Amino acid sequence: MAEIIFIGLSLASILLLVALGLAITYGAMGVINMAHGELVMLGAYTAVLAIRYLDVPFVLCMPLAFLVSGTIGYATERLLVRHLYGRLIDTLLATWGLSYILIQLVRVDFGLAFLGINVPGLGPGLQNVPIPAYLTRPILIGGFHFQTYRSFIILVALLLLLLTWWLIFRTSYGMQLRAVSANRNTAACCGVNDRRVNAWTFAYGSGLAGVAGVLLSGLQTVDPDMGTHLVIDGFLVVVVGGVGSILGAIASSAVLGEINGLVALWWNDTVARAAVFALVIAIIIVRPRGLFALRGR
Amino acid sequence: MKPRVAMGVGSVLLIALALVLPAMLGALWLNRVAQFMTYGILGVAMAIAWGYAGILNLGQGLYFGIGAYMLAMSLKLAAPGSLEGGTPMPIPDFMLWNAAPGAPQDLCCITSGSFLWIPFQREWFGVLMGVVVPAVVALGIGYTMFRARVSGVYVAIITLALALLARLVLIDAQPVTNGFNGLTSLSFFSIGGITFDPYQPRTYYLVVGVLALSLVLAQWLVSSRAGLILQAIRDDENRTRYLGYNVASYQVFFFVVSAVLAGTAGMLYVVTAQFASPTFLDVAFSLSMVVWAAVGGRNSVVGACLGAIGLSVLSSAASETPALLNAWQLVLGAIFIGAVLFLPRGLAGVFNDLLRRHAAPDTSRAASAPLAASGARATIPGQ
Repeated sequence: MAEIIFIGLSLASILLLVALGLAITYGAMGVINMAHGELVMLGAYTAVLAIRYLDVPFVLCMPLAFLVSGTIGYATERLLVRHLYGRLIDTLLATWGLSYILIQLVRVDFGLAFLGINVPGLGPGLQNVPIPAYLTRPILIGGFHFQTYRSFIILVALLLLLLTWWLIFRTSYGMQLRAVSANRNTAACCGVNDRRVNAWTFAYGSGLAGVAGVLLSGLQTVDPDMGTHLVIDGFLVVVVGGVGSILGAIASSAVLGEINGLVALWWNDTVARAAVFALVIAIIIVRPRGLFALRGR
Repeated sequence: MKPRVAMGVGSVLLIALALVLPAMLGALWLNRVAQFMTYGILGVAMAIAWGYAGILNLGQGLYFGIGAYMLAMSLKLAAPGSLEGGTPMPIPDFMLWNAAPGAPQDLCCITSGSFLWIPFQREWFGVLMGVVVPAVVALGIGYTMFRARVSGVYVAIITLALALLARLVLIDAQPVTNGFNGLTSLSFFSIGGITFDPYQPRTYYLVVGVLALSLVLAQWLVSSRAGLILQAIRDDENRTRYLGYNVASYQVFFFVVSAVLAGTAGMLYVVTAQFASPTFLDVAFSLSMVVWAAVGGRNSVVGACLGAIGLSVLSSAASETPALLNAWQLVLGAIFIGAVLFLPRGLAGVFNDLLRRHAAPDTSRAASAPLAASGARATIPGQ
């Protein structure tokens, strides 16, 4: 039983990393980024390529993926999202178009396939990321088997959560971010450069997605379509938790992750996902603003 | 050319094109165009729900899928393959394969839940359910949502989650629905002694007829009094509520209309394509409906319809050549981003603006005033 909860917790951790980026961009900026799942996917491919061609250690793939996905996120904000502030549904649609392009770019080896060049590690097939041995040995503590890799995932998620909390509540950038999400115009009047805050926030959220991708690449095979369902899961977490609430995102990713894990054990995976969807629908209808809605916005 | 005249000429040209198409296309492409026209009906359904009601339904595929499965169940039972098992009553082949050894060879209990199929032995029942079930489901979910004053993005999330939920249940209920494989090798649709072979012009004209009917119906509904109130709700829900209108009932009504149109489209799709599959409930399919409406013009019933047909024809033509197949996906993504960034009202909006610009020089100021008003509503009058 404890092991099941533990597995659920590691799934919830990845869900949290995906949802955290979405929660920040949606809550603070009013942007629904449907390409978020593809940033996770690109993070995973960063690990695949870096290990294959540059022999980068697995642990170092995470900062690398953070940079890669973060840079793409920054460019996305500058080139696309910037023109759509205040048009929530339009951000959803435009970023969905972007996710289409990103998936296809990986499938065609970033266009090299058109020239007849195929890069091993890219393309439509499945890829695997080898996990170093020190992360695969199970450790036995007090008669309880900890799977090292899953503990590692939980640890990384906690560290990044701490970092995010520190950034938002203890730095001047975080204060500017909170000011912008409370009231963009007033913040701008007080001298906050809201455009710069937006761009960096979007980049940071995207970077988190990249790290989630690296962690995920150790659990499952990597393919161009792996991000599609993640963005939906992440988004459900954000909405259930309450838009803009980091505490809500933590709570709801834990609840949804555990329910998924438990029902999957008692019944099967399909019913587990169905149960999560049903629960989400019920919560939105009963509490449309989410479990931990911010007040006074 | 005056806008009204231009619209008239345009509609006549479109209708003429639709009528002479069977003479110009081979059987294969005619069948394909008929399939795309069922997507056109989906475009109309999207325009009503999204463009006019402001309800972004990201799970429209659910209603399309329900319509498709309802008729497909009837056509499956009517197929010769369902009688070959040597049983007194038709039984779908996949049920025979799935049945536990020694299970009675009867629809009532061959697999768990197979009794649901019994009434579908009559084709009219399948057609009826293809309309009724989407309507009932939409009524239930719409009533619950709009009474609770759920709006905006939350509607999108609920409808999306619901379609995903239904898709999982559909796949999981393998003994009744044939799961992932869907329903294939169906018989031709026939009603009143007329059989509709999907590769005959007759089937094409059936689809064109229903498409035209739904266009007229949709246009009439959105320009009716209820349609105007609906647009008021879209623009400012609270103000309309304070004016004394029952906001939820208008939203539920148009949500149901949109679902019924989608269900009808699903049925016609089964008639032309001869299969029903869980992919109808995929997020990607529902999202592509949104793309069609966005590119064609969500605020225009005709625009969304033409957007659906046009993009599908382009997609299909591009996937004919393997070299283009991969590039097309990139182009499609770019088209979509471009449409959202530069054409927020879709191609129909551009068309409207062009008409107004060309109309301006040769109309007097008095005549152009009502034009500007109708332009502000961003609709194409007439169809």
